[in-house]
Amino acid sequence: MTGWLSFFQDVFEYWPQILGGLGNTLLLFAIVTVTGLIGGILVFYQALSPNRHVRRITEGYISFFIGTPLIVLLFLMYYGLPQTGIHLSPLAVAVIGFTMNVAAYNARYLMSAYNGIDASELEAARAQGFSTLQVFRLVTLPQTLRLAMPGLTNQVILNLKDSSIVFLIQYTEFFAQMQELAARNFQYFKVYLLTGLVYLLLVSLVVLAARWLERRVLPAACRT
Amino acid sequence: MLLQVRQLTKSFDDKTILRGVDLDLAEGQLKVIMGPSGCGKSTLLRCLNRLIEPSSGQVIFRGKDVLQPGTDVRALRQQIGFVFQQFALYRHLSALHNVTLALRKLRGMSVREAHAKAMHELGRMNMAEHADQYPAQLSGGQKQRVAIARALAMDPAVLFFDEPTSALDPLMSREVVSVIKQLQLDNVTMLCVTHDPFLAKSIADRVMFLDEGVVRAEGTVAEIFGAHADPRIRDFFAHEHSAA
Ligand SMILES: Nc1ncnc2c1ncn2[C@@H]1O[C@H](COP(=O)(O)OP(=O)(O)OP(=O)(O)O)[C@@H](O)[C@H]1O
Ligand SMILES: [Mg+2]
Repeated sequence: MTGWLSFFQDVFEYWPQILGGLGNTLLLFAIVTVTGLIGGILVFYQALSPNRHVRRITEGYISFFIGTPLIVLLFLMYYGLPQTGIHLSPLAVAVIGFTMNVAAYNARYLMSAYNGIDASELEAARAQGFSTLQVFRLVTLPQTLRLAMPGLTNQVILNLKDSSIVFLIQYTEFFAQMQELAARNFQYFKVYLLTGLVYLLLVSLVVLAARWLERRVLPAACRT
Repeated sequence: MLLQVRQLTKSFDDKTILRGVDLDLAEGQLKVIMGPSGCGKSTLLRCLNRLIEPSSGQVIFRGKDVLQPGTDVRALRQQIGFVFQQFALYRHLSALHNVTLALRKLRGMSVREAHAKAMHELGRMNMAEHADQYPAQLSGGQKQRVAIARALAMDPAVLFFDEPTSALDPLMSREVVSVIKQLQLDNVTMLCVTHDPFLAKSIADRVMFLDEGVVRAEGTVAEIFGAHADPRIRDFFAHEHSAA
């Protein structure tokens, strides 16, 4: 057990930076969870377009961002774009990169959920005189969001875990600060064990929140 | 005349489904459309509120040809209540909210007004005590009555039914037939596609027989169901009776 006491002293001394890193992690997580969901809904709406070309472009977008490693996209924007004269902050790159990537995944989840909804309900809504956008907002979206819930909440968990890669573009989030701590006290095992436990704790909170949301949002009658 | 249809045609690609249909529907009238499967009955109903775009012809609704460019299609649809074979209730909404949705979003009613109107219509359909239930918790007959309440809530000029009883067992089907009869007493104008001879005989003022995309015969229930001169019509009813 020797070493744990001095380890926690190190952690305590480095606490402000760790807390700052945790704050940055949660900031990025919160932003991309919201923008990724909104983006996913917009892409999904495009995917339902009556225009064949719009649908094809949307399919292309989704395939591209699901098929490209996110880290490549982040490097392209962070290290590549400055060569064309465009300089973006690490946070801006992270938000843009994650949003485009997460939106593609969320759109995929929504599109497969769409297969589970009943076309006759959409026809009924059109017959009542709702506009295309109203049919989407009032019938299609509430139903697909419910059906896609497991995929969407899983994506939220991934957002949290995957945010740890952005230290590679100089965004000083939690994982970056923990690496810094390890570089100072050489206690790699303890530092990364603690790091893992903190992520586990955060993910558990997200899972609890997701379960709560699913219970709230899915009335008994709709759980089929 | 509330609705006059003249020489209505509809082709899908190279397949012609409707070949010049004429139809008149007066205020307060209940007309039944019958005919063999695939003859274009559902297509006809959907052409009238432009869920399907007709290829040619005229649909004169309240004196205006609604196939003319510049027609407000959404306003047209709001005047036509549509009841479907498969009920098509919004499954994420309770019976009450199925009825209030259009009142709130299309009529701009307040929550309170829409609620009162919806409860009135559900009450008419004997569904008030089920207002808070979701479609999955209702029987077929109950779902169809909610669907009728949803259509009626918009105070439509006419109700269209596309085989309202064919997804129901005979008992539940009777519930719906009696509800439609009630509406008839209230002078609601209705156009009803059905295969169900019991429904047709119980309700129809006039029966129209559609076959191969044209109106093959039209008349009273007795004329169409009796020993009709047209052998195709006689065959149809002989077959339907043995099936039913
Ligand atoms: N969107 C479409 N594209 C191509 N063909 C269609 C389309 N909709 C309907 N049809 C065809 O039009 C014909 C008439 O269909 P419709 O559903 O109007 O018949 P129906 O009289 O209602 O039949 P049923 O009694 O079985 O309901 C059918 O042969 C059908 O295959
Ligand atoms: Mg049909």
